Amino acid sequence: MNEIYFNAYAGYLEGVVRGYRDGLITAPQYLNLTQCETMDDLKLQLATTDYASFLQNEPSPMSTSTLSARCTDALVAEFQYLQQNAAEPISKFLDYITYGYMIDNVILLITGTLHERDTHDLLEKCHPLGFFDTMPALCVATTVQDLYSTVLVDSPLAGYFRECLSAEDLNELNIEIIRNTLHKAYLEDFYAYCQSLGEPTASIMSDILKLEADRRTVNITINSFGTELSKDDRAKLYPRLGNMYPEAQTRLARVDDIDQVKAILEQYSEYKAMLVGVSLGASSGGTGANDVTLEDRFFAREVQFNKDSFEQQFHYGVFYSWLRLKEQEIRNVVWVAECISQQQKDKINNYTSIY
Amino acid sequence: MNLTTTKTRLKGAETGHSLLKRKSEALTTRFRAIVRKIEDAKLKMGKVMQNASFSLAEVAYITGDISYQVRESAKHATFRVSAKQENVSGVLLPAFERDTRTGGGSQFELTGLGRGGQQIQKARAVYMTAVEMLVELASLQTAFVILDEVIKLTNRRVNAIEYVIIPRIENTISYINSELDEQDREEFYRLKKIQGKKKERAAVAQRETDAKATARREMPVRDILAEQVDEDIIF
Repeated sequence: MNEIYFNAYAGYLEGVVRGYRDGLITAPQYLNLTQCETMDDLKLQLATTDYASFLQNEPSPMSTSTLSARCTDALVAEFQYLQQNAAEPISKFLDYITYGYMIDNVILLITGTLHERDTHDLLEKCHPLGFFDTMPALCVATTVQDLYSTVLVDSPLAGYFRECLSAEDLNELNIEIIRNTLHKAYLEDFYAYCQSLGEPTASIMSDILKLEADRRTVNITINSFGTELSKDDRAKLYPRLGNMYPEAQTRLARVDDIDQVKAILEQYSEYKAMLVGVSLGASSGGTGANDVTLEDRFFAREVQFNKDSFEQQFHYGVFYSWLRLKEQEIRNVVWVAECISQQQKDKINNYTSIY
Repeated sequence: MNLTTTKTRLKGAETGHSLLKRKSEALTTRFRAIVRKIEDAKLKMGKVMQNASFSLAEVAYITGDISYQVRESAKHATFRVSAKQENVSGVLLPAFERDTRTGGGSQFELTGLGRGGQQIQKARAVYMTAVEMLVELASLQTAFVILDEVIKLTNRRVNAIEYVIIPRIENTISYINSELDEQDREEFYRLKKIQGKKKERAAVAQRETDAKATARREMPVRDILAEQVDEDIIF
């Protein structure tokens, strides 16, 4: 039934987003980018892409950080256009996408509050996609208790905070743990919401979100080795979804080193393929030019899923996918720019190409 | 009197000169070694820094901007530098060392827990070595500057002693010597003169006595009998 009304509500936006997708940088363009010798060359090459209008007014010695900022501006402008033109069911979906950024912003502001920084400066550092109306009010609150009772209660994130944290936790817990707890709650909530949207959005989004959940699980496991994070706490940070939930997660919660992680991952056919040629111990010692990290493989797989979601019609997943692809593209461009400006040409091809 | 003191001074200056010269040579050897080390360290530094900033780029690729989180979660310094003093032939060179006493684990070890934690730790390790290099380079560089100054100072002193003080003292000594000689000669001359005068005087006296003697000898002996011409007495 969805398909009948889909175009009435979301047809225009889907058209726009598919148009955006065609603006993504393609493999030949990447090749051109990697051939550049200087940042000016790169800028010239980018002039043929969607970023042209955002980059044209930049003065000539352009740093990679400005490049990244301008590219993000381009992304935000496009996303906001979508949001402004969205009607009810789809606008909610788009809002859900921004919650992830909101969590990061709120965490940023909480960190600032805890360290008694001037939170007004922090507002500029916030990701523009995660900006919500009451966010400037976070600056008013001086204690974490205030922050929670006056501001966060009214924000869309209140639910996540209520579920997993009490006001006391905000003072005591490590801020990274809070961030991951919130992201976990957000992922679960987003997943549940996507399931309520019905097919085909549900199945497409579930693939993407499950991958995201699995990636979080694996990353949290690997990154918590040798830290103060206890195994129980680690298990609490795993999102309760994904291909590895619950069976492999309970085992991952107990492992101590990277080989055990590998052994567990190898039981899943899709991850077994990913592990081939991956140096899991990448954190120790320098990686060569052709070393692939697990992180890169996850990126590649995410890109694949997101590309696949464009193959179907009449679903909302395209919006999420387009945003993810665009983010990946910005990362790629910035990576290439970094390689050029630091003259590390041998690693320039380590980006994850999209089309 | 003065000659002896001046001579002692000359001797002192010469010993000082040789001592300073030896010091300056020792410092120069040290200086050369430091220059060589600095060259190595600087070349290495370039590579290490490049590596470090590239690993930061890797972090940015995977995680995005983490600068704020890291800055805020840093509560106390994990890397401390302590300064020590090293004595190289009388020159105190500050030597900076990494203070290993404060081992304290990384405070932001949980940063990037969701993604990119490995890269962050790697970047952290690489930057740690970069900072260590910097500390080493800093102590070398300070030693370089200080040694440079001290060597210049010592050389200036050596040259001053060699070309100014010693010649001056030698001049004084030779002047004193010439004065003394002059005095000697004067004395000698005076003595000679006195002797001459004495001789002259003696000769005059001699002559006088001689003359007297001859005069006395030549003077006819008064013949009182002949003088006395008695009238003939006729009886």
